[in-house]
Amino acid sequence: MKFLDQPPRFLFFTGKGGVGKTSIACATAIHLADAGRQVLLVSTDPASNVGQVFGIDIGNQITDILPVPGLAALEIDPQAAAQAYRDRIVGPVRGILPEAVVNGIEEQLSGACTTEIAAFDEFTSLLTDSALTAGYDHIVFDTAPTGHTIRLLQLPGAWSGFLEEGKGDASCLGPLAGLEKQREQYKAAVDALANATSTRLILVARAQQATLREVARTHEELAAVGFQHQYLIINGILPRTEEDNDPLVAAIHKREQAALAAIPEVLKTLPCDEVMLKSFNLVGLDALRQLLVDTAMQEHLRVDLPIELDEPRLFELIDTLAKDGHGLVMLMGKGGVGKTTLAAAVAVALAQRGLPVHLTTSDPAAHLTETLNGALDNLTVSRIDPVAEIEHYREHVLKTKGAKLDAQGRALLEEDLRSPCTEEIAVFQAFSRIIREAGKKFVVMDTAPTGHTLLLLDATGAYHREITRQMGDSGQHYTTPMMQLQDIKQTKVLIVTLAETTPVLEAASLQADLQRAGIEPWAWIINASVAAAVSTSPLLRQRAINELREINAVAKLHAQRYAVVPMLKEEPIGVSRLLELTGDNKINSEC
Amino acid sequence: MTIIQVFDPALCCSTGVCGVDVDEQLVGFSADVDWAKQNGAQIERFNLAQQPMVFAENSIVKGFLERSGAEALPLILIDGEVALAGRYPNRAELARWTGLIQTEEKSQSDCCKGSRC
Repeated sequence: MKFLDQPPRFLFFTGKGGVGKTSIACATAIHLADAGRQVLLVSTDPASNVGQVFGIDIGNQITDILPVPGLAALEIDPQAAAQAYRDRIVGPVRGILPEAVVNGIEEQLSGACTTEIAAFDEFTSLLTDSALTAGYDHIVFDTAPTGHTIRLLQLPGAWSGFLEEGKGDASCLGPLAGLEKQREQYKAAVDALANATSTRLILVARAQQATLREVARTHEELAAVGFQHQYLIINGILPRTEEDNDPLVAAIHKREQAALAAIPEVLKTLPCDEVMLKSFNLVGLDALRQLLVDTAMQEHLRVDLPIELDEPRLFELIDTLAKDGHGLVMLMGKGGVGKTTLAAAVAVALAQRGLPVHLTTSDPAAHLTETLNGALDNLTVSRIDPVAEIEHYREHVLKTKGAKLDAQGRALLEEDLRSPCTEEIAVFQAFSRIIREAGKKFVVMDTAPTGHTLLLLDATGAYHREITRQMGDSGQHYTTPMMQLQDIKQTKVLIVTLAETTPVLEAASLQADLQRAGIEPWAWIINASVAAAVSTSPLLRQRAINELREINAVAKLHAQRYAVVPMLKEEPIGVSRLLELTGDNKINSEC
Repeated sequence: MTIIQVFDPALCCSTGVCGVDVDEQLVGFSADVDWAKQNGAQIERFNLAQQPMVFAENSIVKGFLERSGAEALPLILIDGEVALAGRYPNRAELARWTGLIQTEEKSQSDCCKGSRC
């Protein structure tokens, strides 16, 4: 493995939830400890299973992993870190200022920015506090700070203003205001991060086109802030085993190979390792020691009886939706779970039932939605390009609202406009132009703002004004958009996830976020399930068994109603394949 | 020396950009504050989301919040007395309060340019 070659002191693994960061970080830590080094493994994954992997309760104290001499671990919960930060700010005024005011402050500090900074705060002490980490040769992090966070911390203009004033007058240093005493520490941490002799950043991806595109973006973002030397790991690649004549395996293999062949140009220059999909669950020392070893798939697999999955299918949800005759359907979930595909499937299935549908997507490649335009008489498709939308929004703001600023002011404004919340807003504004059609037909969207953003929108009245302006002087009576989103009769939120641990936990926290805004998700959709597909491959069978636990968690703990969508052999393009996703034209699932 | 204190609503950032909506007033006001400071004015800004204690410790501000709520911010005090509430001062007002001479051409009023009034 190239990324293990002469490893520096700090190793950061980064990648979206569910790509296997934690497993690879654990395996790396064990590998280094087995080689006689003193290693500290730090997890900031809210779904951290480090403790589970080693069968030890870890938590936020450095804990020795006794079965592996030389290895210690630490689990940081970013949500808890953000909560502690909120408590520091809000605690002293609770009971002094009116309750509504205090709640408003708490909401303001509940966004991604605060969590990012609070998590970074935890990183920095480990990067710079030598007393804490002096005894370790290597410190392995299963997450890296985002480019956005690092950029904020690198803003010399903002910092100098910030310091002279002693208050955050400069820029989007919002959450940093409470942390100014750590400024020196931040600077040291950022310097350490950018130093290739002490730090190695490893991007973890799956062999999927969308994931690789996202990783390419992360790569560029982090390169721009000084992480010049990055490595790439493609995890969970399906091996092409000869004895396997399973059509689903063949199809997945072909798709993965195509994605690898079409890997974005910027990633081609990075040292790259491929880690094959393992049939065993990555829990326990033996399993982890084998993860980074390229053994041919020799191990004897249990070939179980075919799984007979008796789970609700997507068409059942759509039947219920269709009864309303019109309404807003929003698909929400993390990147890469297939929101766009499922939005298209829902739209096509509704149109198929003779209902008027407007599908509006942010499909970056457009190849999915292009095929649908004009495919059905009562289906309209419109596409919003997020990149163009954000760029347009930034330019517009700089031109109009930044017109009177000097160079430094403009630079700060530009930086502020790179925040994650800005992106969410820019895209959602484009979508909101279409929302009001939902009174007459179905409007299906594959992008929606988080509950936190909606609450802030509602509080500032910005969203309300936006819609009011679009309504023009029509003088007709209308409810506020927030009321529309909270009304389950008018709006159905569908949460999309995968049958894997981290994605399910991420979806659950998204749901909690929406509930805070008074929006109750109507249903969950578990996408790309191997368990719901038909396969004789022992490898996929094993994966299917692992999925059942997650499907069960969704059914029992998280969702009011749910559906499971099978992984398909072909990419779901075109009306008939999209309908296949809904499980309507039942395929005989017995082999 | 006159001291102007500005009590902002709970902002992600005082430029008003990185929230859910770019507030033109805030962008303009930040620039005006910058201008006034460079000309020697004493202006302090406090963000409710970052320094709530400052709001709680000032009886005038605390009373204002109890009566009118956070929606009524910003509140501007001059030497501790209420000077303005519910909107930000423009450059001319800042200049008048601090005795600065506004040498620049008066910028066009922002009202009704764009979408918000």
